[in-house]
Amino acid sequence: MQLEGQDRFLFRFMMGVVALVVAAALLGFVVVPTIQGARAGLDVWTSVCRALGIAPGSPSAATPQNTAQAQPSSNVVWSPFVIDDLARPNPQVAQDLAQNLCAACHGETGTSPAPDFPHLSGQSALAIYKQLHDFKSGARQNPQMSPVAQQLTEEQMLAMSNHYASLARGTLDRRLDWVADPVTDQLVRTGDTARGIPGCQSCHGTGAGGPMETPTLSGQRETYLKAQLTAFAQGQRKNDVFNRMRDIASRLTPAEIEALARYYAAQ
Amino acid sequence: MRSLERLTLAHLWVAFVAFTIACFLGVWQMWVRSPLAAPFSTPDHYFQSVTAHGVSMAYVLSTFFIMGFGYYVAETALERPLPAKGLAWAGFWLGIGGVVLAAVTILLNKASVLYTFYPPLMAAPTFYIGLVLVVVASWIWCGLMILAMSQWKRENPGRPVPLAMFATVANAVMWLWTTVGVAAEILFIVFPASMGWTQTVDVGLTRTLFSWTLHAIVYFWLLPAYIAFYTMAPQEAGGRLYSDMMGRLTFILFLLYSLPVGLHHLFMDPEHATGFKFLQMSLTVLVSVPTLLTVFTISASMEIAGRLRGGRGLFGWIGALPWEKPMVLATGLAFFMLWFGGGGGLINMSFGMNAMVHNSSWVTAHFHLIFGGTVVIMYFAIAYSIWPKLTGWRPMDAGLQRLQLWLWAIGMMVMTLPWHYLGLQGQWRRVATFDYSNPLIAPWGKWVVLSLIGGVILLASALLFVWNLWQHHRQAARVASAPQRYAVALHQPATVPPAFNGFRAWNWMVLFLMLAAYGYPIAQFFINPPPEAVVHRVD
Repeated sequence: MQLEGQDRFLFRFMMGVVALVVAAALLGFVVVPTIQGARAGLDVWTSVCRALGIAPGSPSAATPQNTAQAQPSSNVVWSPFVIDDLARPNPQVAQDLAQNLCAACHGETGTSPAPDFPHLSGQSALAIYKQLHDFKSGARQNPQMSPVAQQLTEEQMLAMSNHYASLARGTLDRRLDWVADPVTDQLVRTGDTARGIPGCQSCHGTGAGGPMETPTLSGQRETYLKAQLTAFAQGQRKNDVFNRMRDIASRLTPAEIEALARYYAAQ
Repeated sequence: MRSLERLTLAHLWVAFVAFTIACFLGVWQMWVRSPLAAPFSTPDHYFQSVTAHGVSMAYVLSTFFIMGFGYYVAETALERPLPAKGLAWAGFWLGIGGVVLAAVTILLNKASVLYTFYPPLMAAPTFYIGLVLVVVASWIWCGLMILAMSQWKRENPGRPVPLAMFATVANAVMWLWTTVGVAAEILFIVFPASMGWTQTVDVGLTRTLFSWTLHAIVYFWLLPAYIAFYTMAPQEAGGRLYSDMMGRLTFILFLLYSLPVGLHHLFMDPEHATGFKFLQMSLTVLVSVPTLLTVFTISASMEIAGRLRGGRGLFGWIGALPWEKPMVLATGLAFFMLWFGGGGGLINMSFGMNAMVHNSSWVTAHFHLIFGGTVVIMYFAIAYSIWPKLTGWRPMDAGLQRLQLWLWAIGMMVMTLPWHYLGLQGQWRRVATFDYSNPLIAPWGKWVVLSLIGGVILLASALLFVWNLWQHHRQAARVASAPQRYAVALHQPATVPPAFNGFRAWNWMVLFLMLAAYGYPIAQFFINPPPEAVVHRVD
């Protein structure tokens, strides 16, 4: 086939582009990985497969052996199935348990009558499920809750989490005079970067970017909040993934812990 | 006022209003990041503001400017009425609807996911619907540009499409290819998750699809500046374009090489193999070719103008150029900023060196210098050049226009040079506040304040820009303005090869390059699906 002048130019141009792609591919898939792989003690085939992405690992390094043993602070696995189940009400299971088991400490409507027991109504279902699961597995321990949670089945934990999440918060003791504390307000909103403390709202705020199991703190019992922050600070409570709350709480002063507990209790 | 002028002005004013609001937000963000106490400073507000700033600058300013300028070029370069103007207005209102929807969602703090989305973060559905409407509006524009060119070609068989229109259609064709990635990401993955229909997303796949769009979108913003370089600057400088064919080749190369290169945004990501990163890095090197061709051609064109005006000697022609004209001044300043921004870009696209600057302020500085600097200063110059023709009022005080352009260039350099330096020092991007009491970070403070001063100069320039444009609308009497003229080449071709007068053959080339560069990197997510991430809603 004879190509005319213009077509010949176009053909040559396109062949030039193809040649450049082939040359880049040869370099990227064969030449560079082979040289790098030889230095890392890999054979040519493994190096090329790694450069193509059909074998795991980098062609420039041998895959390191890891002998570390995982010590998870929680065994909860967030999957779409768990999240779906948490969104599905199960009134038959929930109402019976709520009345006969939970109400004694957390109140009939999830509004706790005692200062050291948390309110559950209006809490995020994911947060409740995480804590129930942790009490059951032993990741979190409490003389009252641990034996209770150990008796619960997966279905019951899912049902109770959904049940309390669906209840509106009851009338709480709002002490708004405590809120007029600009230092605590600053701690809540922006944290204290000098001490590596992020703002509480960075995770606990609505729509914030924190972990999905982050509980809502607004209107929670002051005594309960103070006890939990103190337990995190002293390392007695340790079911926070990646030590997040232990790190933060240990940097707070006792006075700040008290002020934060008051702040959120009054929200 | 004729209908074309109304259509163009409507688009450009929307672009520049969004731009001005975004400038205020940008300055406030730099203030928050500085050691100086800023009002309303919480991380929550910061990321809300960054989202609004990014969406305004990257989607509203750019898309509406490009559409408005494209309509103007289509009618003035082809010297025939724009076809289907009603459709163009429908696109405009669709885009406005989208902008309002997205803006309200951001203001309600239900979309602080930045303009690049970052799944599995998930905003309210209205945010994505709004952005999709803006993209659909731009697709209408693409269709109209292609239609206008093909109608002209039918009426003028054998004649070369005027370079300004050829380049505009190159941009439209490139944009259609470009948006495939983000459209697939939003329609098939992000939107269903945002609606709650799915609860997990494949983060690697979404990032890969976004990378398909992420680099070419920058060239979509850039090409109007290049159109001004080739077809407006030589004309206003009083010279000739050095080569029409070089211009055509440049825009064709942008179409080819701006697309199969997006993986250079994912060099540090684990989901892609090194070989494909290397391949796309190699293709990214090639995208510097059309820019180097442009630097050569426009410098040569300016030299022709300078010598025609009596410039002598090796560099004497530079001083002889009409620097008092905003378009010529802006071209000089844009080239100056391109020198730094382009150099930084070459570092970013190098697989190894990228690791040093990854996720640091260097990257933010780079794209501000290229887009905010080189590109936006040419948007200003284009606006100054065409505003008297659009409004029918006499040209305004060029002194204030030059002052505005100088302020912009100086502000951009003062803002971005320290920012580059801070990136090399390790300052990370997308962070609201820094602990300046930390001895490792404390020395950054003065450079951040210097950047902030640059930002304030930029804001002053932005306000002066709007003031300069607004002055046209306040005049009492209209004067007949000369028709828009585009630069004629030194040897204006009477005919050009078909391949340099259309895009059919080049689309096949783009398809080949995209298959080579993105075929397996996308296919791998379906061949061997990785674990997906649980959606994290921020609304």
